Amino acid sequence: METPSSKTGLFFWDQGGRLGKALDLNWLLGKLSKTKGISCCSLLDDPWGPGGLSQVVEKVQKGELGRLLWVGRFSREQQGILKKKLAEEGFNPYLQEWCDLEEQGVCRDGLEQTVRNKKALLLIQMWLARVRLLEPLAPVEIPASDSLLVIGAGAAGLHAAVSLTNLGKEVHLVERQSGVGGKVASLHRFYPRLCDPRCGLEFSIQALSDSGRARFHTLSRVVSLEGGPGNFQVRLEKRPRFVDEARCNACGECARVCPVEVRVSAGSQPGGEPPGLLPAATRAIHPSLPMGFPVAYVVERQYCPPGCRECERACPSKAVELDQETREEDLLVGAILVTTGWDPYPLSKVEEFGYGLYPNVISNLQMEGLLGSPTETPKEVGFIQCVGSRDERHLSYCSTVCCSVSLKQALYLKQRRPDANCYVFYQDIRSTGFQEELYQKLKEMEGVTFIRGIPSTVRPEAGTGRLRLRVEDTLSGREVNLALDLLVLAGGMVPSQGSEELAQVLKLPRNSLGFFESHLQCHPEESQRTGIYVGGCSREPMGVAASIESAQHASLEALRFTGGTVIIDPKYPVVDKTKCDKCKRCMEECPFGSFYFDENEFPSPHLGRCRQCGNCVGICPLAAISLRNLTIKQMAAQIQAASTSFMDGKEPTVFAFLCQNDAYYAARDAVEAGLPVPPNVVFLKVPCAGYVNNALIADALALGIDGVLIGGCEDGQCHYVKGNQLVSKRSDDLSDKLQKMMMERDRVRFVNLEIRDSEKYTATVEQFVQDLRAMGPNPFKM
Amino acid sequence: MPPKVDKEKCDGCKAQQEPLCEQVCPGDLMTLGEDKKAYCRMPRDCWDCMSCTKACPVGAIETRIPYQLGYHLAKLIPMMGTNTITWTCIDINGKVERFRYVNRGRLD
Repeated sequence: METPSSKTGLFFWDQGGRLGKALDLNWLLGKLSKTKGISCCSLLDDPWGPGGLSQVVEKVQKGELGRLLWVGRFSREQQGILKKKLAEEGFNPYLQEWCDLEEQGVCRDGLEQTVRNKKALLLIQMWLARVRLLEPLAPVEIPASDSLLVIGAGAAGLHAAVSLTNLGKEVHLVERQSGVGGKVASLHRFYPRLCDPRCGLEFSIQALSDSGRARFHTLSRVVSLEGGPGNFQVRLEKRPRFVDEARCNACGECARVCPVEVRVSAGSQPGGEPPGLLPAATRAIHPSLPMGFPVAYVVERQYCPPGCRECERACPSKAVELDQETREEDLLVGAILVTTGWDPYPLSKVEEFGYGLYPNVISNLQMEGLLGSPTETPKEVGFIQCVGSRDERHLSYCSTVCCSVSLKQALYLKQRRPDANCYVFYQDIRSTGFQEELYQKLKEMEGVTFIRGIPSTVRPEAGTGRLRLRVEDTLSGREVNLALDLLVLAGGMVPSQGSEELAQVLKLPRNSLGFFESHLQCHPEESQRTGIYVGGCSREPMGVAASIESAQHASLEALRFTGGTVIIDPKYPVVDKTKCDKCKRCMEECPFGSFYFDENEFPSPHLGRCRQCGNCVGICPLAAISLRNLTIKQMAAQIQAASTSFMDGKEPTVFAFLCQNDAYYAARDAVEAGLPVPPNVVFLKVPCAGYVNNALIADALALGIDGVLIGGCEDGQCHYVKGNQLVSKRSDDLSDKLQKMMMERDRVRFVNLEIRDSEKYTATVEQFVQDLRAMGPNPFKM
Repeated sequence: MPPKVDKEKCDGCKAQQEPLCEQVCPGDLMTLGEDKKAYCRMPRDCWDCMSCTKACPVGAIETRIPYQLGYHLAKLIPMMGTNTITWTCIDINGKVERFRYVNRGRLD
């Protein structure tokens, strides 16, 4: 785009006399109209009334104005109206700026008129300096594929895929196991309705098959990921099934002749925890697990005896192909959903209850299998809660579902055998939300006893094979001795086995517990890689209903990067290649991993991946990166314009950089609430505190500004992961340097501000101004 | 006299292939040690150009100025702005002088 003319129009909006009451507008207009580059400087009485804006529009139409600065309080909506109106006349909306004098405290009571006028003039000059450097910008469109990838075809993945195919999207489902369904398929009953989970799964599989827009990639894993949101290039590695999916009709002739028996496990790998409702063992050729979809059988080739080709000979439809090999397949998708789910915590690590030693000590997942099988129901059954959960030796967290699972199992047990006795050993019963009903129901039920205490010893009884338990009931203080037929351990959830490898391939950060990281309140499903969304238990332990909900929310978010094109706001960073020396700090520190090497090995931001926080701008040691709408030059010009003091005599001046998500609102509301914010401060808002480059602070100090304040979010609250931490570390480094330079290190301060911290902001600025008075003027004031 | 690296501060530019001081040093004297911290491998060859001191993003490098310019305790510290450089000169008696320059030779 060609550089627009530098003729600037400066328009004041008096706001019905509010500005005029506080400021000498004629003096300001007189001063400013003489400034270089200003071709029009006037006062609008009522921009929204008839004829109000027409004079501006007229001048724009005539091409008399290349840039605009609006002075006064324009709300976001009003700014939108102005932008739209002028855009209709062909005026680029990025060539105008708004300078709000009121929020900077110019109109505050009890301020001297000269200070007011001087501060207002300085602020307008600062914004003019910025307006002079504005560039016309336009949104960028990047192409976006119309298909999505769902990793993990469990309940969450399947339901999300159904929603997506209903919207006409093409969905690729990737699953490590031979069949879809995940953990939920191995459960016997769901709470709260106690219905069979397969019903919902079959329903979604049916919907997916009917849609014709879903492709199932079983026995597959993602091995590489290139590109960005809108066009991710994904490479899958597909292990051979050894059965032709198109030919096999699951008649089962092959399994009848197969000579090998194979143990089935709950995890995705053989030899793990025993499964829930799945068969404990199968032949080496067996239906897809866990629920026979895809319909074709699968051969566990590693268990086949050498040279055995019985199944191949037995197959009536010639579907068995024992010579298949691992294949790779490349996909192009717009967005990725990660619903890799969970694995049971290995209870063999919890030694005290005899799991693995005594056959009648089982996990809650095994209990699902027992309840689903026609075997005789045991009479005396104990449930131990929080096995390995909320325990510093094992899992530090609560898996949220195990209490309700045990309640459900006890209820079902009682339904099957009304004379059964259930004992629940607990620390706390955490039946959240409506599941409280289930708890109350069981409490009322005869033959269900809740004992608050965890068994101290579990020993087998000689001869009978039953288990003897000793437990202290901490509510009554008495010791209870029990003989049980079966003991069920309610173990917790851990991220599924494949998630570590997947995290490496997708470069997804995980939290210290191994779950995928996200900003839990504001963007729960947004991972720290744009275009990749996490749902279900891969993000946090949750129940089936919650994980389906979460995956569907994730798919809604993911839709943004599908459908032909994605429109990117022109606020993305650009690297000045004449300055950049490829130190790669931006690549290292970008919280969203959005930088890649371009053809000349310069770091370059991927527009789709970037979330426009500006942390790269702050981190660049050479100040070579700029956000397009907020360049480092514009910032530097604004700071330079602020170098003349507007305060009287020896009063210090403070320059503040405030994060526009939190700290800016705190400062604005402080002025609005009439708090005594010292007039000495002038602030600029930045997209994230991490935007603030040390060079900008150095500029401010070198130009004689007495103190620099940086306002960022509280730790752990930054929308961009850790912008506040990065900038506070950098400002500390600069403080150290100031100390070496025989200056007071406290001239640069970082403060954590939340959105409602107006009083803290006021107090901080007051304290800062006081301290600066004690320190004396900045030695660079020349 | 060689540049002195504050080992606590230096982060080896996150162990990238070349830290900034190594890239910028005209004599190719700076490099990373086994502890992934920068050091000057041939102190005698240093010209005291202060390029590394200016370039260090964490402010870990200080140039000890040669005795011809100032005895022990004398210091010369640059601070880089976007388009300015400020110098703080501290002499052996602790007297401080400060200068500010606008950079010439703009690349853009």
